[in-house]
Amino acid sequence: MPELALQEKAAQDATAIYGVKFTLDDSPVDLSNISTWPLDPRAQPATMYKAGISPTVNQEYREATVNGWTENEDPFTQANLLDSEDNKVQQLISQIRISTFIPNNARLVNRLITLFNAAKEEYPDSPGISVDSIHSFYHFLQKHTYLKYPIITLTPDNEIYASWKGVQNQVFSVHFVSNENTHFVIFKPNENNPERKIISYGTDTADTLMKTVAFTGICDWISDER
Amino acid sequence: MKDDPIPDQDHIARYCSFQKLAGGLPQPTAFMLKRDRPGSPTEESLSVNWLEYLECTDRISEIAEIRRIYHETFDVGAQAKMAVLNVGEVREKVRTESPDRRILQVLHDPIEPKDPSHSGIYNLRQNDRVIAELIAETVLESYSAR
Repeated sequence: MPELALQEKAAQDATAIYGVKFTLDDSPVDLSNISTWPLDPRAQPATMYKAGISPTVNQEYREATVNGWTENEDPFTQANLLDSEDNKVQQLISQIRISTFIPNNARLVNRLITLFNAAKEEYPDSPGISVDSIHSFYHFLQKHTYLKYPIITLTPDNEIYASWKGVQNQVFSVHFVSNENTHFVIFKPNENNPERKIISYGTDTADTLMKTVAFTGICDWISDER
Repeated sequence: MKDDPIPDQDHIARYCSFQKLAGGLPQPTAFMLKRDRPGSPTEESLSVNWLEYLECTDRISEIAEIRRIYHETFDVGAQAKMAVLNVGEVREKVRTESPDRRILQVLHDPIEPKDPSHSGIYNLRQNDRVIAELIAETVLESYSAR
């Protein structure tokens, strides 16, 4: 399959550049195989990690760093860090950063870090972003590399809520709770009753969600045609 | 008085943290209830402030007063906003467009002495994503929360 082949090539390139193991199957990410943050070799850890020097939360288009994440010189000897929710989020964001086959991956990473920082700023004891949620979002992005860049916000439970908005108030929103538990909402115009809208909503797994909603025709307007 | 319904012609302001904004605009996540967690109190309603209760002369004064109340009652995020909504529009939108024709109640729920205009949007359920989307479509204006 050409698309998969392209993804595999990108993954191989990423592995070659960054020296991390990276797989493309649909199985859960094995966090023990993921290298440390940041994976971008241009990053300067000595300055990137210190709390208090990162951009403020509204600068998502700039290179973002994460408040309060401690420098981790050798994660493989600090197994306890892998138990930390923050560390898992950090590693999943790192995965998106190196997943160059995901369109707008750098922009996605900056947005996620900005949201993480904002959530931590508001509630320091919160997970920032739910690990299960970002895991599910990452798998969704891996599987659907044709999507336009979505609006991304966090629910009150720190879960990712991604929305695509089209003309005539069309909406496709996905609430990523976990791989097994994604919820969608679709608004589309009712051509026979222009003042009304057709609403579809439901729950599915992250891997089959797009197949489930295909009948609604959303792929016609949420796909990036580049 | 507590539990008085807020008239449909009146307005409410909802605090929206930065995580619930995109491009500075409130998104549906600003109108979702938190799920129940062990040890945490159940969120029964969406907290809002009743603007007309403040008896200010104009919207700008109302917003200034809400900012003062926010400042006195919790830590306001630097990028947070407040969304202004009309009570009748919210109720009508949800009643006519939600799949279960939900009738929301917007009730006065004063917190004395610091937040007497505090109110709530009731008859919401956890994970009411469709209704959160509908409410977000009724946002009239948004202002910086501080």
